Amino acid sequence: MRLAYWMYEGTAHHGVGRIANSMRNVHAVFHAPQGDDYVNAIFAMLDRTPNFPAMTTSVVSGTDLARGTIRLPETLKQVEERVRPDLIVVVASCSTILLQENLEIAAKHAGLQCEVMVYDANPYRMQEIVAAESLFTDLVKRFAQPQPRTEHPTVNILGPASLGFHARHDLISLRRMLKTLGIEVNVVAPWGATIDDLRRLPAAWLTIAPYRELGLRAATYLEEQFGVPALLDAPIGVQPTLRWIERLRELLAQAGVTIPMPPLTAFSLDGMSAPSAVPWLARTADMDSFSGKPAFVFGDATHVVGITRFLSDELGMPIAGAGTYVKHQADWVREQLAGYVDDLLVTDEFQTVANRIAELRPELVCGTQMERHTSRRYNLNCMVISPPTHIENHLLAYRPFLGFDGADVIADEVYTTCTLGMEKHLIDLFGDAGLDLPEQAKTAAPPEPAPVAVTVESPKPVTEPVVATVAAPATVAAPASVAPPPAPAAPVDPVWAADAEAMLKKVPFFVRGRVRGNVEKYARQHGHAVITAQVLLAAKEELGA
Amino acid sequence: MHKASTIREDGLYHSFCGLVSVGWLYQKIKDSFFLILGTHTCAHLLQNTLGVMIFARPRFAVSLLEEADLSSSQPNISAQIEEIKREHHPSVIFLLSSCTPEVMKVEFEGLAASVSTPEVPVLFVPASGLDYTFSQSEDSVLQALIPFCPPAPPEDKRVVFLGSVNDAIADDFSLEAARLGIPVAGFLPASHFTELPPIGPGTVIAPLQPYLHKTATQLRNERGCTVLSSLFPFGPDGTRRFWEDLAAQFGMKVDLSDREAAAWERIKRHTDLLRGKKIFFASDTLMELPLARFLKACGAEVVECSTPYINRRFHAAELAALEGVRLVEQANFHRQLRTIAETKPDLIISNIITTNPLVGQGVVAKWGTEYCFLPIHGWAGVNALVTSFTRALERHAKLDPLGADPIWLTGMMPSSPGGVISLQS
Repeated sequence: MRLAYWMYEGTAHHGVGRIANSMRNVHAVFHAPQGDDYVNAIFAMLDRTPNFPAMTTSVVSGTDLARGTIRLPETLKQVEERVRPDLIVVVASCSTILLQENLEIAAKHAGLQCEVMVYDANPYRMQEIVAAESLFTDLVKRFAQPQPRTEHPTVNILGPASLGFHARHDLISLRRMLKTLGIEVNVVAPWGATIDDLRRLPAAWLTIAPYRELGLRAATYLEEQFGVPALLDAPIGVQPTLRWIERLRELLAQAGVTIPMPPLTAFSLDGMSAPSAVPWLARTADMDSFSGKPAFVFGDATHVVGITRFLSDELGMPIAGAGTYVKHQADWVREQLAGYVDDLLVTDEFQTVANRIAELRPELVCGTQMERHTSRRYNLNCMVISPPTHIENHLLAYRPFLGFDGADVIADEVYTTCTLGMEKHLIDLFGDAGLDLPEQAKTAAPPEPAPVAVTVESPKPVTEPVVATVAAPATVAAPASVAPPPAPAAPVDPVWAADAEAMLKKVPFFVRGRVRGNVEKYARQHGHAVITAQVLLAAKEELGA
Repeated sequence: MHKASTIREDGLYHSFCGLVSVGWLYQKIKDSFFLILGTHTCAHLLQNTLGVMIFARPRFAVSLLEEADLSSSQPNISAQIEEIKREHHPSVIFLLSSCTPEVMKVEFEGLAASVSTPEVPVLFVPASGLDYTFSQSEDSVLQALIPFCPPAPPEDKRVVFLGSVNDAIADDFSLEAARLGIPVAGFLPASHFTELPPIGPGTVIAPLQPYLHKTATQLRNERGCTVLSSLFPFGPDGTRRFWEDLAAQFGMKVDLSDREAAAWERIKRHTDLLRGKKIFFASDTLMELPLARFLKACGAEVVECSTPYINRRFHAAELAALEGVRLVEQANFHRQLRTIAETKPDLIISNIITTNPLVGQGVVAKWGTEYCFLPIHGWAGVNALVTSFTRALERHAKLDPLGADPIWLTGMMPSSPGGVISLQS
């Protein structure tokens, strides 16, 4: 048992809901207490669904348990009557699975016309990603039929799903590139697919499955079972996109069709420019300062690998560290990031990630919604590159992460999130440039020294309530029940002498928190209990702060 | 006693878990911590319902049951209690039950007692989603606080307001009581665990929220106090009745008819808009009865008022005022959709889950959930209350009607790419 505040992944039934809500005429029924119905709200709110999410909770109440009532057959009848689905997927919840009821029999009892599949998702062994991926793979295995290939070369796109990270945008980007290459799409799934569409999957000449989290196993199955080659790379960044197009053409050539490569300008939105402005941006003088901006990247497997390599290879930024919460993909991530990251952080405990960020104080954090909270607490720049998301990440405009267009979107986000170059030099040199705000009264140090117990000012007038508690990072520190404890730093926190404190005040406000953390880290490493002006100078020399 | 005719259905409606009330209670009781003994599901619920609102440093967490923990019927939470004390320094820890430990038959009273100390009591709060719906578990939290309210002697005749309201509303009620000469002992809950009001046989309990009947009943039975039976203080009508009936408990006859009339006059523009409008309540907050009663008093036609539970004694005055309105307990969502298609309401008060989809079907709907957080109590809340209804109507009326063409919904949802399933289906 451990104390949990926030979670990276949703539950198994949420993963099932994501597949059902992606597909047409598929409905999920949760055999669960009414409390589990909240997942509906995530779809209705974040995806802003103009229709009822394709899932229904068949309520199990305390009274039902006492009386031995199972309402599932009646719920199934009501669902069939209202939405007339082709398939209903029934799944138990974390509490009802302990009852060890036979839901197959209960479901049969309903005597429905449509297919009913009781999906065995043990919520204690699988979470959102594995539940969604396994269910989708099962559905593909169940419905895909052997059949001749389509006359013209076509591809499947597997992976885009309801509540997927920028899924709609990525799909547009992939479709645009395929259109430029003159390749038609056979089936997109699970996004918008019917059961019939799953039946037609083997008719494609190739399957594109860019996400490690969803679609990978189904694509592999189609390759093994039906000989449909699979392209499993994620085209994140300009060079990976070029390689992806090359690989796509190679695989199709092996399948017997030559796809001519159009001029690169054909991939641009106006049809007459470079398909991405990133290679030029990266070479401009403006970007020189980015070679001194270390980034920390955390998220799902696909995005952590893609973004880390993009920052390093295409923008020339140093990588301070990276990690993922998708534990079953950790080996793949490690392999992909060999040479980029030495010690990949693999954890699903947000406190541990927060500790690592506090320790590293990177110029840029690329993370999830949770790292956004952490970065705000430590006054660090953060952009969201992976689920879990906030409603603010569900934007209307075209913002893909994949393809040439995606490279531009990511680069823009990096550029506008980081503190800029020339302005920064000016401010560094001359002080506050009139931007400094009176420092907030410092809160007392946390009562117990914690591994990352740094005091952090919040000079920006942040409107959210985080301001009030920002100087007390004890939540993220010392997760006592978590083993092993992260950040095994020295137990004693250095204190600041008045002369050093005065010098620190002259550091521009927006980097002051980071400088303070770095100097404290330096002091701990070198065994200084008191940070004097001399220690600060020495630290500046060593760290280049 | 009045016998309102209510329909009881099978409870297949969308709702949140009762645990969500943690979201306001931890902010109300400032020296508290809420620990849920639960699973990944509970943590995911809290993250998605509260995480989007509260970023900083939540004083609630889940003691996470993982697969290995399922075999022991009495989990050990002492390490987590210590961690909470060390990092949050609460005066009181509420230990909330959830579905899985309930199914495991965890003995919660004993578990709470085993980690409770006189310095930091750990109080068991039944809150599982098997038995409690949205907003209901506040009742369980307040029940857990009762033993910590000091006893009051019989001659201590004062009022205790029941229900968590923010400090501004609490000040309003204290001032209003002072103005009418009603002596106030305090609020349950108070802003701090250490400030709970004394309660005894002379106490008059004045409920401010309609979902607290268990606490009211227990106080009546255990402390012998009087529970005010009146309308809840929402709207000019409810607020007048509330204060007049409360004053009567203290032997005072006050006439607030001028005050009520002035309040109605101030919101005339809004009541003009509401008059004759068909309103459908399909929300899940247990605030539905008083809200429907207020709208009826505004001249609206409440075509249906669905609410999770009705307590005939606690809600007696509201039920009497709602005579003639179709009241449904434990509604069936599929049936509600059919009724909505038939009655074509002008405004549906629904919950967070169904609001956007209902709007997608071409009706005006608004979040009922908001009423748990809006300052709609008493005289000062009248404007916020009435505008909460008219804002949705006015905003939708103002939007360009061309935008209502289903073409604008095309592809917005992968599972229904071609737009909407009509309500009539």
